[in-house]
Amino acid sequence: MEKISVKIDGRTFEAAKDQCILEVAHENGIYIPSLCYNSEVASSGGSCRVCLVEAHQGGRMRLVTSCNYPVRKGLEVKTDTPLVHRIRRGVLELLMARVPDSEAIREMAAAEGPTDVRFRLDEGEYDRYKCIACALCTNVCADVVGVFAIGMVNRGADKKPDTPYGKPSDVCIGCGACAYACPTGAITMKEKDGVRRIWGRDFDMVTCSVCGTPYIPQAQVDWIVRTTGKDRSFFDKCPDHR
Amino acid sequence: MGAINTIEQLEAYRQEIAAGIKADLPTVLVCFGTGCQANGARPVAEAFSDIIEEQGLELNVNIGIKTTGCHGYCENGPLVALQPQGILYLKVKPEDVAEIVEKTIRSGEVIERLIYQDKTTSDMVAEYSEIPFYKHQHRIALRNIGAIDPTNIDDYILAGGYSGLVKALGMKPDDIITEIEDSGLRGRGGGGFPTGTKWRSCVAVDSDVRYVMCNCDEGDPGAFMDRSIMEGDPHSVIEGMIIGALAMGSHTGYVYIRDEYPLAVKNLTSALEAAREKGLLGESILGSGFDFDIKISRGGGAFVCGESSALMRSVAGEVGEPRAKYIRSVERGLYDKPTVLNNVETWANVPEIIMKGAEWYAGLGTEGSKGTKVFSLVGKVNNTGLVEVPMGISIRELVENIGGGVLNGKKFKAVQTGGPSGGCIPERLSDLPVDFDSLTEAGSMMGSGGIIVMDEETCMVDVAKYFINFLVEESCGKCTPCRDGLPRMLDLLTDITEGRGGEEHVAMLEELCDLLTWGALCGLGTSAANPVLSTIKYFRDEYDAHIFDKKCPAGVCKELITYAIDPEACTGCRLCAKNCPQECITGERKEPHVIDTAECIKCGLCRDVCTFDAVRIS
Ligand SMILES: Cc1cc2nc3c(=O)[nH]c(=O)nc-3n(C[C@H](O)[C@H](O)[C@H](O)COP(=O)(O)O)c2cc1C
Ligand code: SF4
Ligand code: SF4
Ligand code: SF4
Ligand code: SF4
Ligand code: FES
Ligand code: FES
Repeated sequence: MEKISVKIDGRTFEAAKDQCILEVAHENGIYIPSLCYNSEVASSGGSCRVCLVEAHQGGRMRLVTSCNYPVRKGLEVKTDTPLVHRIRRGVLELLMARVPDSEAIREMAAAEGPTDVRFRLDEGEYDRYKCIACALCTNVCADVVGVFAIGMVNRGADKKPDTPYGKPSDVCIGCGACAYACPTGAITMKEKDGVRRIWGRDFDMVTCSVCGTPYIPQAQVDWIVRTTGKDRSFFDKCPDHR
Repeated sequence: MGAINTIEQLEAYRQEIAAGIKADLPTVLVCFGTGCQANGARPVAEAFSDIIEEQGLELNVNIGIKTTGCHGYCENGPLVALQPQGILYLKVKPEDVAEIVEKTIRSGEVIERLIYQDKTTSDMVAEYSEIPFYKHQHRIALRNIGAIDPTNIDDYILAGGYSGLVKALGMKPDDIITEIEDSGLRGRGGGGFPTGTKWRSCVAVDSDVRYVMCNCDEGDPGAFMDRSIMEGDPHSVIEGMIIGALAMGSHTGYVYIRDEYPLAVKNLTSALEAAREKGLLGESILGSGFDFDIKISRGGGAFVCGESSALMRSVAGEVGEPRAKYIRSVERGLYDKPTVLNNVETWANVPEIIMKGAEWYAGLGTEGSKGTKVFSLVGKVNNTGLVEVPMGISIRELVENIGGGVLNGKKFKAVQTGGPSGGCIPERLSDLPVDFDSLTEAGSMMGSGGIIVMDEETCMVDVAKYFINFLVEESCGKCTPCRDGLPRMLDLLTDITEGRGGEEHVAMLEELCDLLTWGALCGLGTSAANPVLSTIKYFRDEYDAHIFDKKCPAGVCKELITYAIDPEACTGCRLCAKNCPQECITGERKEPHVIDTAECIKCGLCRDVCTFDAVRIS
């Protein structure tokens, strides 16, 4: 693969062409916060804006989101400047005002200094007390799981992930990948008596024939069997007892 | 006649049309733009047809009465222009038609009642070109509008249309681009990016497929130049796009047009069909071997869909949301292919530049902004509408000469330019030349060319609040600074206008402006600070009056004003008392009346009805 060298905070690193700044930085132990980006999820990133860094190129400086800005020859990145911290703190203050209950946001903000919020707290009319509308869940569902059960609905401050028309989705397989990926833990997934509840729908779980633990929704097994042709008996046992 | 297969045939055809027209015979041009149709242009046109048929008048046989696109003067519609006299009649009703035919067409007599009267000098002006609204204009993008029937391709061809294409077909593609570069043409959609440079960088990208696109989303409230061009002269855009495609080697074009523009869609659709029939679109245009065609893509109408990356996603059938443009669309745009997107007005300029040359175009305008620009002049001025003037004209000229001054003799306070994320420029900067760079330097922007005139009764904090509210509603919600920052900005501005503003409010607004400018994803967010920062910069005293004195100097912010009756001026006519919904105005007949301020809801009805100007705001 084509390699190029890129300068981050004064040090020079080798990187693959088209790799994003954030990954090159993380590989080399340089911290840049991120919320809406996951390297496994192709269309993720670019939305939360906590990963903004200074990109200097051709005598010009811009703030760019490091999670989707591809490294290029001659690029010099600065992650630790007054401007970067000022804007990052501003973004985090807005997020704290939006989701005061989120530990993840508060912790990230604490790393930037005081965590008081001067803005009036938002009392949304719907349940969004932890959701920052970053779209990682919908991107995971579409790009990684491949079922498109949820999408971002509404615009402006009311934007949020939801199933079509807010009704339990019949294509959702209850896999929980969205809940797992969510940076703020905003998606509730509950399991009780062999039934998992997520996005307003109940999923019967398949129980491991060895340990008796309900470990995967029946709907997910059906889906894997249907799309990959894997043998159904494979799912008799949980990963620990295969 | 069917397809035209050579350049020579096009010229022959043009002469054929010309020969069929008896030039000195009268022609009636009825404006059929959206504005005039809403004002009743159709019955007027029908009345003309009826009477002409009835009387067997020898009108121009080939053209008859023509329905045209918007003259830009819609508030005075329906407009009827008469050729060759060059007379313009305003607010024409079907009842006037017989008289127009009898007096003006038959005997050349001017009907005073229907002509323009200057509101300040009371001068009567019959001739189109002498009306101040038109007199100071220089029409390039709007060159044919109001003079041709947009649904008749012959009209466009007769007016010299498709000559630019003919000339371009004889040029090397590279030279076409050089011509556009040298003309200094900059994008009219808001960004002002040099058009030639954009084309050049698109060609530099290696690809077998390329797209040219036209942006007719026009989401700015109050702006309607793109609609008028699409409705009134669609061929000028089509011709521009063919020339661009030829220069860049593109074979497919798209026009993205908002759904709320049905007449524009209709006229464009029929123009495309006519161009195909004539061999001006499709395979081997004019026998040149060059293939190009244009598709229409209709947009749902969100403001942010006009942003280039959102627009391209929308055309490709995805959600119309912006995405980071770290890879430019000239490299990877529509369907990931090199794409050039230009605004309607930008495209409409192209054929004229090719025809008359870069030097001619660059001779108009200012150092950094060449040519002309179409503005939509609205607000508190006497003449409102669409005007095309050379770049660099001063704000004063626009407001006073073309706009005819501020309404009702009120004091001129500021202009707001650039659409919802533009800024306000105060009266004291009236000599500022209106061009891309001067406006940006002054803290506003050109945007699509909206100009709103404001008088002394406009509260600048309220103006900032109005635009931020618009942006809150149009934010797509994808990125944090815009989605969550704009509502906080609106909270702060609301606090100020409702008397809850504190010392820290302005500083917090400035902080949020900084955050949006640096941190937002697309142009909507990064330019959203303009309405706030420009009003803070030029009208800080108004912010301070709201915050520290709890007063609204312009008398607009309800929470900060009280209505009272001036006992000296009041005649005791009781009119206000009868109209007050709260019934909180009392007084004896012929005695001064009093408003009970505890009950008053500040609806302003009393002030509106009082004929003695006795109700005052303080
Ligand atoms: C929020 C937003 C809305 C926009 N709306 C429009 C529009 O309605 N029409 C338009 O031509 N350009 C609009 N633009 C500018 C386009 O992104 C793009 O720059 C333009 O169409 C390019 O054409 P030009 O170079 O000929 O101006 C908008 C930009 C932003 C950020
Ligand atoms: S649980 Fe449903 S919505 Fe969530 S990722 Fe899996 S399929 Fe998609
Ligand atoms: S639920 Fe979580 S992942 Fe989904 S948009 Fe909200 S914060 Fe992002
Ligand atoms: S700046 Fe506003 S409109 Fe643009 S992407 Fe961000 S949220 Fe959407
Ligand atoms: S309408 Fe005017 S003049 Fe008449 S009673 Fe009211 S304030 Fe007085
Ligand atoms: S992590 Fe980069 S924008 Fe969210
Ligand atoms: S529609 Fe007739 S002047 Fe605008």
